This record gives sequence, C-alpha cells and structure tokens, in this order.
Amino acid sequence: MGFPLTDEQLHKVLSTALSRGGEYADIFLEDTRISSLELQDGTVSQAQQVMLYGAGIRVVQGTQTGYAYTMDLSPEAMLQAARFAGSIQQQTVSPCEIPALKPTPLLTPETPMLEPDASKSILLSIHKRAHEINPLVERVKATIAQRMQNIKFVCSEGTGFSDHRPRTTIFLSIVMQKEGKTQMGFGSRMYQRGAEFITPELIEELLQETIQQALFLFDARQIEGGEMPVVMAAGSSGILMHEAIGHAFEADFIRTGESIFTGKLGQRICNPNITIVDDGTLPYDAGMLRYDDEGTPGQKTTLVERGILTSYLHDRISARHFGVKSTGNGRRESFRHMPLPRMRSTYMCAGEATEEDIIRSVKRGIYAQTFTNGQVQIGAGDFTFFMKKGWLIEDGHLTTPLRDMNIIGNGPETLQHISMVGNNLKIDHSAGMCGKAGQRVGVSQGLPTVLVDKLVVG
Amino acid sequence: MNYQLSIVNCQLDKVAEEIRRICPSADFKLVLMNNHEDNINIRNGQIEKMLHASATSLAMNLLIDGRDGFFYTNNLQTSALKQFIKNAAETTHMLEPDESRTLADPARYYKGGGPDLRNFDASLSTIDPSEKLRLAQRNNQEGMSLNPHLISFQTHYSDRQHQAHYLISNGFHGYEQSSRCTLTSIATVEGENGQHPADGWGETRIFLSDLPQEGIARVAIDRTLRKIGSKPTQSGQYQMILESPIVGSFLQPILNAMNGQYLHGKMSFLADKLHQQVLSPLVNIVDDPLIPGTRGACYFDYDGVATQRRSLFTEGVLDTYFIDTVFANKLGMKPTTQGIHHLIMQSGDQSLQQLMADAHKAILVTDFNGGNCDPTTGNFSYGIEGFLIQDGQIVQPVSGMNITGNILDVWQRVTALGNDFDPWETELLPSIVFQDVSFGGL
Repeated sequence: MGFPLTDEQLHKVLSTALSRGGEYADIFLEDTRISSLELQDGTVSQAQQVMLYGAGIRVVQGTQTGYAYTMDLSPEAMLQAARFAGSIQQQTVSPCEIPALKPTPLLTPETPMLEPDASKSILLSIHKRAHEINPLVERVKATIAQRMQNIKFVCSEGTGFSDHRPRTTIFLSIVMQKEGKTQMGFGSRMYQRGAEFITPELIEELLQETIQQALFLFDARQIEGGEMPVVMAAGSSGILMHEAIGHAFEADFIRTGESIFTGKLGQRICNPNITIVDDGTLPYDAGMLRYDDEGTPGQKTTLVERGILTSYLHDRISARHFGVKSTGNGRRESFRHMPLPRMRSTYMCAGEATEEDIIRSVKRGIYAQTFTNGQVQIGAGDFTFFMKKGWLIEDGHLTTPLRDMNIIGNGPETLQHISMVGNNLKIDHSAGMCGKAGQRVGVSQGLPTVLVDKLVVG
Repeated sequence: MNYQLSIVNCQLDKVAEEIRRICPSADFKLVLMNNHEDNINIRNGQIEKMLHASATSLAMNLLIDGRDGFFYTNNLQTSALKQFIKNAAETTHMLEPDESRTLADPARYYKGGGPDLRNFDASLSTIDPSEKLRLAQRNNQEGMSLNPHLISFQTHYSDRQHQAHYLISNGFHGYEQSSRCTLTSIATVEGENGQHPADGWGETRIFLSDLPQEGIARVAIDRTLRKIGSKPTQSGQYQMILESPIVGSFLQPILNAMNGQYLHGKMSFLADKLHQQVLSPLVNIVDDPLIPGTRGACYFDYDGVATQRRSLFTEGVLDTYFIDTVFANKLGMKPTTQGIHHLIMQSGDQSLQQLMADAHKAILVTDFNGGNCDPTTGNFSYGIEGFLIQDGQIVQPVSGMNITGNILDVWQRVTALGNDFDPWETELLPSIVFQDVSFGGL
C-alpha cells in the first residue's frame, strides 16, 4: 500500500485547508479493492471488481464542516480540494500552526484476497451440497465478496494512522418449491478478516439455516395485528438495540436536539437489569475499529448502565460540542463521505432469566426470531423492524409459525417495557450494513432473549 | 502523472484498444462517467456542512465466450488502468460460460438523431457556489422567521450533474447527460410526551433557475406541526388514502415483480400473469422516457437499447415485463427494457382535499415507516403514519400502525385517483384511494 504524497506534501495540504483559520483539518486517503464472485444457475459466471481511490479533505470550525474529495492525488488537485474545504471558514483569521506529521506505520498486515479459483470452488460446493440436503431446493444463489480497504489518515494535530481493513462476506439465497408454492431463505456472514472463516463447517451451518428458514415459511402465516407482548429471540433481534436505541444515541442528533433522548444523560431510562453497549473492540466483528475514521482509538462505550443513560455515541464534532472525549464512533463509508457518529456492534448485556422462563411467562404474544430490515424516526422515537420468521405464543408455548410481520414501537417506551432479560447474549454476524445520510457502514448487533411487554405487531 | 493527461489517455477508444490487445475475442461495454456534486446544509441559520466534488470513473463489462465480468474504477491513471484491464481479463477468463450473457442485438441500439431532451443544466458546475449558498440561506431564514420555536430547522441544497460516454463493442456509441437540483427543508418541533416530531418538504428541478425560491419552508413546517400528538388508533378496516409522494413506494413491489431477474429467480408474484387483469381497472400506467424537459428522460438504457413509450398497465391489465437481453435469453422471451425511466399514471380529476372530503372512515397515509413485501407471494406489512379521517375531516394524527395484506389484492381495490402528482418527479403518481385496507394499531 502506498499513496503518492509525502508527509511534507500532506502537511502543506493541511496548512492550505486551514489557511483561512479553521480549527481542525484532516485528510482521509483511501485505496480500496472490492471483489465478488457469484454462483447462479449452477455456474460461477459472474464477477465484479471495484477499485476506489482518492482522498477526502475536511475542515471543521465549531460544528461547521467543509468537505471536498478528489480522485486525483496530485499535489495541485489536493490543494484545490483543501481550499474548498477551508472555505467553510467564512471570515479569515490567523491560521494555527500545524505540528510536523508523525509517522503512520501500518496497523494491520495486509490480508490477501481469496484466489478466484478457490472462491469458485467454494461456491460450486455450496450448490452441490444444497441439492443434497433437500430435494425441494430449486435455485441456489451464492456470493463471496471481499473488500480490502487501505487507508491513511492525518490531521492538523500532527497525528494519524495507516490501516488495512479486510472484510469478507458470504451471502446465500435458496429458492425452494413445494406443492406448487415457492419460498426463499436467506443467510449470510460478514467479518473483518480474510476468507479463512469460510470453512466446510460454516458452509454446512449456513446451508442448514437457510434451507430450514425457507421450509419454515411454507407453513408460516400472518395473524391479525395489534398490541401484544413480544419475546425477542437472542441474536438477530439485536435490531431492537440498533433501531430503538442506537440511532437515537448518535450524538449529532443529540447536539441538534432532534433525538428523543436529548437531555436524558444521567437519567434512568429503563429497568436496572438492562445494560447496553456499543463496542468497537470485538475481534473480526463488522463494527470493529482499531481507530475510527477520524483517528480516535477503537473502544467499547457503555450507553446504558443498569438502566441509567451514561453516554451518547460521539464523533469529534459532538465530543467537542459537549466537552467530552470522542467515543470513537466517527465513521464514513469512503473518502467521498464526511464522518458522522455511527454505531459499531451494539448489544444488550446478558441478564439472568432463561429463554424457557421468558416464553413460559407469556399468555399470548409473539416470539420473534429473524428479521430483514428496520428503521427509526429519531425525533418521535418510533421504530420498526420486519420479522421474517417467528412464532405465536399461547399459554407459554410456541404454537403457530408466523412470517412477514412488521413490529412497531417507540424507543424510550419500549426500553421501559423490557421486563425480562435472558442469560443467552448472542451477537449476530449476518451481513449487516447500516445506512445514514446516504452512507453505509458495516455494523453488528446482539441481544439476549428479552420480553417486551407490549409492541404493535401487524 | 499529469491528471489531465491521464484523462486524455482514458479516452474510451484507447481503453477499447487495450482490451482488444489483451483479449481479442472479448466483447465489452464501456461507460466513462463524470459526475459533479454540491451539497450545502444549513441549520438554524448557520452553515453546517458544505461538500463539493467532481468525480470521473470507468465502468466496464467484459464478455468473453459467455463469461461476464463487471469492473469499475476511478483510478484513471494510465498505468493503473492497464493493470485494471489486465486483472479484469484474467478474472473473466476464470469464470464459467453462461450462453445467455450476450450484448444486445445492435438492431435495437439507439441510432441517434433525437431532439435535445432538455434535461441538463450545464451551469450547475460553473456557477459561483455562493449563489447556491444564498438560495439555501434564504430558505433557512424563511423557515426560522415563520416559526421561532422550532427545535431545529434544516435546509439542504444538493445538485448533481451526470455525463456519460458509452462504447459497446458490437457497434454502439452514445452520450447521455442529466442534472438535478433539490432544495429541502426539515423542521423538528417540541411534541407531546417528550417527542420531537420532524417532517420535511423538498422540490427537485432539472434547472437551478426553475427551483422555487420560497414556499418550501412553510410546507415543511406545516407538515411537522400537524404531526404533534400522533398515536395509534383502533385496528380495523379503513379506506386508505395514499398521499401522492409515497405512492411510488407502494407500487415498487409490483414493479419489482415485473423484472426479468425476479421472474427467472421464481421470486415474482406476477409470473404467468402477462395480459391478465392484476390491478384495478382504474389503473393505467405508462413509461415514457421520450418527453423533453422531464426527469428520467433518456434515449437509451444501460445496454444501449433505444427507449420507447411503453404501456405497463392498461385498465389494470399487465401489458409487459422488464426483460433485458440477458434475462430474455435465460427466459426464452423477447427482450423489452431494463426498467422504468419516467413513469406516468393516468390521474383522476379530484384534488387530495376532495378525496379526503368524500371519505367517511379513512386514514390518510403520508409516510411509510419500515416494513416489507414478500416477492414470491406479495404479502406485505408496512408501518405507516398519517391522519385519521372521519366524515371528511381530519380528527387525529396517527403513527405506530401497520397496514397488512396482499399487494395485488389491495391494488385491485382502488376506488379513486387524485389529480395531484408532482410533474418534476421521475414517477408521476397521484394520490390514490383504496377500499377496505387492514390497519393494525390498538
């Protein structure tokens, strides 16, 4: 990895960016290669490769940001971009002095891409095995995608870092046909590492999971909607943490007063058996960061400790605004985007109840197992997530398989209505991408089994 | 490397020459794109974010004996491009052949000669950014002065110019361009029970000079204030009045089901439904990309195939599928088009207010909040927000509710169409009244 600019040239770009007197400037250089192979109709006949190369230059003045990016890393183009970014400073004042840039040795050794032949061989084995597992399998689509992101970051404080961020994803969709009806199952895994985790054992696990999901859907149905208790199964139900809590804790929404959690720091917002964290330190996790995208070390942040709101998710701008340290949540999709407070791996810590006890406590409600998508309205706190697979609970037992139901709640109210927390925390490592302001970043989420006393299900 | 020189080196014919040198048997499709964008965000009277960028990139499909690779790069320096093409050829050779993966029949290519589509504002990239800033500032001042008690009032201005040169190895050369500029206001207010309701309004035009100078802020604030106190209402069957800006979201699962990829993957509830009545007889929809001065106007699609006015539904009868060259080969069908460009639904003659006035027990749905639709069955569940209407009057804002059902079943229950579509959108869809929709709430 290397970029055609010396530290002296980068120093000059930063100096130019701040020549009108902005408080802070940084440069995010990126050289990324994305590669994927897809199996469809029994053959591996499609490949994609994407190369992204460029630099983003940012100038911050208080809560104001000037940003420009360029795919031309010549000194002239970089200086031109720096001048635009610096124009956010409307009234010229004396520029501050920028210390010499410290060396930025590579933090993570480069991970090789999976050889295309090896990738092809895995994909063909998936096709063969899927048909062996169940003769109802009609179509198999499988993709192995890798993103190798090389970055160098420097800022006007003289610090920076260089890192290699590998990310490998395997996707599977299986169409099954039974008695003239068609159903589909989906499965995926995503980690920040090379393809070594795609073992025969993982493929078998993923195939079984995906086929079972499709088979389940043949017999599942929707039921009449309404307000009812919902038991969120451990794992992918972590979408509750992401939509109901996580987004509304992002401190740009707190700084502007838009979030429903504004002004709640230090207050009790839920039962004392609830602790929620956002973690950038889980090895290989989609949200793991050695440094975030503005140079703050990766860390674990406790958002709610025993029911008390203890921290929001900060980037540099919100941290400076509130007079606290950044929590390392400044993330961006690529050099084309300015960093924003974003989640990493957001999960609720385990409690003491067993899943059996939680289900047994429900007279009539829903056991929600897997999900496809969700979203939240930051100000109103209303969130939704779409349950693909679940069960009706009657008299403490799972009775009828359910599918395709939207679950709606309000973040603060739902937190208060979590009455039981299971002892079985599970982090979901499906391919999870979170969208905000037109940017997508990799995240994960987790939850032990919990009981929410009431949510609107439909 | 001089960047300008590298751009010159990146002329498509030189890329084509390099492909032919490395891989003489390859067919290819090359698209050299140049995009320019400006973004300005102003909040509560203060500039919050400004972004300015131009980006050039190359997209390339290589087809070697049925092997199909897609490649994209924005590193257009000569040495990087040569390596890019070499890697692309090696990767494509490694694939297995799929005979359905061919270029389009050259007879279907756009041959040129059409009049100017008037869909490109050349001044967007040359105009002084301070003019765009002043436009955004005026909008923000308007909002702040209309209501000083807002928690937050944001103005977002964005524009984008897109230009692309196409070169396809079996005989297509093409150039397309388009632009858009958008001014959006978003207001956040103090609501009930600690809630901070937010809503917004935006307008999009092709030419900056056509963008409204005032009025957007007022609509955004009015739309936000009317949401205060929203809550779920009783579950049951209601008439649903879907407001024009979100009709496209409710139509999307049907458009998806018309796509060759979904049909081939056995994931379409419209399989085997061609020429059948699938929607209400009130529904007539065409795709017309050939109207100059409209967003979405274009003479050819990504395959180079000439676009044409095409009927999608006539009185609820499904007239066509979206079948591109590859899926036409796979499905053994005649190719049509890749998808929609400029959708037009025949509108009615009543305003939204008249549709609401005629409603006895209805919910005006103004936004969706999550949800999904199963592509194989059409069964859906969507979160909604809007307003409860009784005897023609709005009586309560509602949120935290779902609508459920089967998408074809609900689209068969259209009883009235409004006349209120936005002519500047790429999808011209009026407000629509649906009978007997299942709402889940309390």
